[in-house]
Amino acid sequence: MMNFKLKNRRILTSILVVLVILLVMIAIGYPLGILSENPDGLERVLIENNGESWLESLSSVWTPFLSWIENNYIAAIIGVVMSVVFTFAIFKFISYRKEKRDNITGAN
Amino acid sequence: MHLPDGLLDPITTIVLWVTVVIILIVAYFRLRSLFQKEESDKIVPYIGVLAAVIFAFQFVNYPIPGGTSGHLVGGTLVAVILGPWASVIILFLILVIQSFFGDGGITALGANAFNMGIIGGIIGFYIVIGLLKIFNKTSMKKEFKVTISTALGSYIAIIFAASICGVELGLAGAIPMEIAISTMIFWHIFIGIGEAMISGFIVLYIYKVKPDLIITKSFIGVT
Repeated sequence: MMNFKLKNRRILTSILVVLVILLVMIAIGYPLGILSENPDGLERVLIENNGESWLESLSSVWTPFLSWIENNYIAAIIGVVMSVVFTFAIFKFISYRKEKRDNITGAN
Repeated sequence: MHLPDGLLDPITTIVLWVTVVIILIVAYFRLRSLFQKEESDKIVPYIGVLAAVIFAFQFVNYPIPGGTSGHLVGGTLVAVILGPWASVIILFLILVIQSFFGDGGITALGANAFNMGIIGGIIGFYIVIGLLKIFNKTSMKKEFKVTISTALGSYIAIIFAASICGVELGLAGAIPMEIAISTMIFWHIFIGIGEAMISGFIVLYIYKVKPDLIITKSFIGVT
């Protein structure tokens, strides 16, 4: 029980550390010029060849439901939490399925 | 390198989606060996943290001379730590989350997962293995062999992924093929330096602090 709590605390601390580093990077990285809001390699290639308005005019079959979040800090927090929850759920499911199958087949 | 919706032609989009789905199914079955060797209670939360790290590094862009920027892709990095099959699934999930924010399209998810997850993860991983075989013949310290191989593997994989992305743009008719490939490679020659440095640094840090977390350690031959 103690070990379980300690393990969970370590994981939560790791996630918090990632989050704090990300928020600090956003807070000081852009003003100091360590980070940049310029277009990335692909965007640059598309803008150079077809123009920025063409890139913005591309149609999508759906509106990304989190695209309304313009605040970087909120987007960072939601993104990190979703990454952890999604990957945890999927990999837990894979390991659960494997254990279940092993129990049925009697494998070690 | 996140392709938006409405850029690729339907055939390229479908072919890449089908390829990615097949590889995800293979990855699902291949991952069983990971859970056979490692305790799932230990490894699953760790995978979650690693996904958070990759999301965080993909979220922020570093400057590149000429008014461009780049961000970590992380496919090769995750593959070196957890293996190529786990890497494909993790990168796919991160790309799904990013598409919710409008960073990369939902129909282009197959192409993005192919470029960043499969080329970055699977091909990048085997480039690292090849480089390690070469470095194993030298008297270099083990951690530096892994670090340099990871950095070089990430660099080569990102340029390869950029050239494939150029082919996709050419096939879609968005940009003439030869221009798309050459300009994508040109910009990613610079962007790849950041990818190599971040990937190498993270692997070196893990190797120094807690080498047990590098699950592929025995496979990549640096036990």
